Amino acid sequence: MSPPRSRNESPSSSRERGQPRAETRTRKAAAQAPESPEAAERAARKGARSSRVSVESRYRSWLRHHAAMARDSARRLLVAPIASLLTMLAIAIALTLPAALWLALDSARLLDNELNDSAQLTLYLETSVDESQALTLSDSLRDAAGVGGVRLITAAEGMQEFAQALDLKRSLSLLDDNPLPASIVITPLDTTPESVRALATRLEGEPGVASARLDLAWLERLRQLGELGQKVTLGLALLFGLGVLLVVGNTIRLSVESRRQEIEVVTLIGATHAFVRRPFLYSGAWYGLGGGLLACGILALGGNWLAAPVTALVQSYGGNYVLPALGVAGGATLLFSSTILGWIGAWIAVGRHLASISPR
Amino acid sequence: MIAFEHVGKRYGGRFDALAGLDFRVERGEMVFLTGHSGAGKSSLLKLIMLLERPSRGRILVAGHDIGRLHTSQVPYYRRQIGVVFQDHQLLTDRNIFHNVALPLMIQGVPPREQARRVRAALDKVGLLHREKALPIELSGGEQQRVGIARAVVNKPALLLADEPTGNLDPALSADIMRLFEDFNRIGTTVMIASHDLALIARLHHRTLELSDGRLIADKDAR
Repeated sequence: MSPPRSRNESPSSSRERGQPRAETRTRKAAAQAPESPEAAERAARKGARSSRVSVESRYRSWLRHHAAMARDSARRLLVAPIASLLTMLAIAIALTLPAALWLALDSARLLDNELNDSAQLTLYLETSVDESQALTLSDSLRDAAGVGGVRLITAAEGMQEFAQALDLKRSLSLLDDNPLPASIVITPLDTTPESVRALATRLEGEPGVASARLDLAWLERLRQLGELGQKVTLGLALLFGLGVLLVVGNTIRLSVESRRQEIEVVTLIGATHAFVRRPFLYSGAWYGLGGGLLACGILALGGNWLAAPVTALVQSYGGNYVLPALGVAGGATLLFSSTILGWIGAWIAVGRHLASISPR
Repeated sequence: MIAFEHVGKRYGGRFDALAGLDFRVERGEMVFLTGHSGAGKSSLLKLIMLLERPSRGRILVAGHDIGRLHTSQVPYYRRQIGVVFQDHQLLTDRNIFHNVALPLMIQGVPPREQARRVRAALDKVGLLHREKALPIELSGGEQQRVGIARAVVNKPALLLADEPTGNLDPALSADIMRLFEDFNRIGTTVMIASHDLALIARLHHRTLELSDGRLIADKDAR
């Protein structure tokens, strides 16, 4: 579609009527003609070379618009700082809970590994087995399959430990002979509950072994608890992620309402959906990013606040456990997901509006 | 330029806003669209702008059946049409320059080129000196001229106007119409919906008259 330019190239009746304004305008129009969009379009259709130029300039203007919209939407947020901050805070709170849970679980997994290392099993020997026989047995077990380490506790050592631990020296000294059996503490190579259990059953069959004891029940419970915690965290993350979508979506919906006229006008004069959507997507992304930053701040503050009591508590158990921090990778993940969530929330909110103004 | 072939538009399944429309507007023509309120003038313009799609018939603009345009192509189609509204639809939060630059910004015209073309358009409507003003600081007639500058800034082949003088006094209305005639003279096809019969009669252009959604008269007053 292009206007017939032949009209302004040949002297028309309007010029003869002597309208100076019309004449200057005509000249201008003729001068501009080569750069008009219709002309550009025609040129683009003619050859691949000119179309490449047009694609490049289109790409550049697309980038320019992105930059302009990113700035513009940031400026709009800053114009109403309190309202923006409240929205970001709502996002931050929604993000903090799953993030904190995830951190706690992550550190629990570290703890779990430590516990795995101490997943030992104890073989109680028959009382008839004397010290030298016990020594031979423990030596032979050292080379058995699946055994990482062996520590023999003779009956006498066992009695000593028992007496020390319970402070029963005097009453135990009344006993004529040592009622405790010798025992062998085995450190398995493979610490998964199944293989430890298999090892225990196998070693129980060894001659001289009265029984094998392994304290896997609580380990398993801890593992199941960890699994439960993971699922709860995932569920909460999904729910609160949805919450972030709703918070951003609602905020963007309000801002779409307040710019309804602008959207209608630019749509009427040929704005694509992407063009209309762009400033709102950036607003959503800024909200998400701000919320993510606040969430990082809350997590850091909370970690600081809890560090002292947690360290004291863990030390009282003789443990060595440091409260986990988000770290660079975790922080980046949190910021990235919050920004994406904001972006998606805005997309949904604007998309609903755009669908309502398509031609029917 | 524009061809309507048995076009009808029905709302809500029973009310015919437009029915059996058959007419052609040639390239470079200037046409008035008249009729009482509710006769279907705005509906007809909305069909050309693809704000709505016809229920029946075909509309050809520049040889293309616009009914077959996919929704994603509608924006590119609209960029080739300049539209002037009765209430001019200027954006109140930005100045005259940026209002007029809007279509160019949408099309991704480089900023320097934008400035040149915006000033050319403002110059044509005689408002170059007000480019920094906000729409609210202008009179009704000036606002409408800004609306026209925005409609013509990307030199559309087709200019549509829906009651462009509806809120203006007779002298200003005549000014605005003269502006449309200027654009028509450089080859732009112009279609103006108006019920200002006295003004239309003085201008001697082709007039299409609608009544109850039907074309009842097609007078060429030249």
